[in-house]
Amino acid sequence: MTPPASGTRRPRLLRSFLIPTAFVLAYFAARAGIESVEPRSTPALLFALLPVPAFAFFIHAYVRNVRGMDELERRIQLEALAFAFPVALLVAFTAGLLHLAGFEGEGDWDLPRLWPLLVLPYFFGLMRSRRRYV
Amino acid sequence: MENRLRVLRAEREWSQADLAERLGVSRQTINAVETGKYDPSLPLAFQIARLFALRIEDVFYPDGKPEVRP
Repeated sequence: MTPPASGTRRPRLLRSFLIPTAFVLAYFAARAGIESVEPRSTPALLFALLPVPAFAFFIHAYVRNVRGMDELERRIQLEALAFAFPVALLVAFTAGLLHLAGFEGEGDWDLPRLWPLLVLPYFFGLMRSRRRYV
Repeated sequence: MENRLRVLRAEREWSQADLAERLGVSRQTINAVETGKYDPSLPLAFQIARLFALRIEDVFYPDGKPEVRP
């Protein structure tokens, strides 16, 4: 059995808040950058890929965080993700199909507008799972 | 599965946080095990039994009555 992370509060705080914040900032910087340059240009491509390193770092931090959790906390995370992943797929597929079916207007189904719907199921799943065990 | 964790802990006058620290888990995990909301893994169950110097079946038992030993 792996004991919970014995690290100090500061690295945990760093992993929990600063890294996701860096990703969100990179995302909005990328959006602002894309809107300020020529579409389909090299700068636009670079701006579009700007959040990728920050997100890779976020994934690394999340996995490290999960490894430091005890078995119940891991189960809660697993159940949250088991709920959130299919729901996120469902949202993405449904949006794509609605788009193909011609129900499109003013970018209603664009991913930049949809991403909150991909993230919310995780928090809902986390809440649901915590209520079950804690 | 049921368990005698709360009783064993109370006998030693340990808080949930004390027990959690000795086992290297969170207090929430201890609470979830005590209230029967969560069945611990086999390694954790063995660790708990070892901490109380008991056999695993003296701490955990199927729903119903604890095993009566002669």
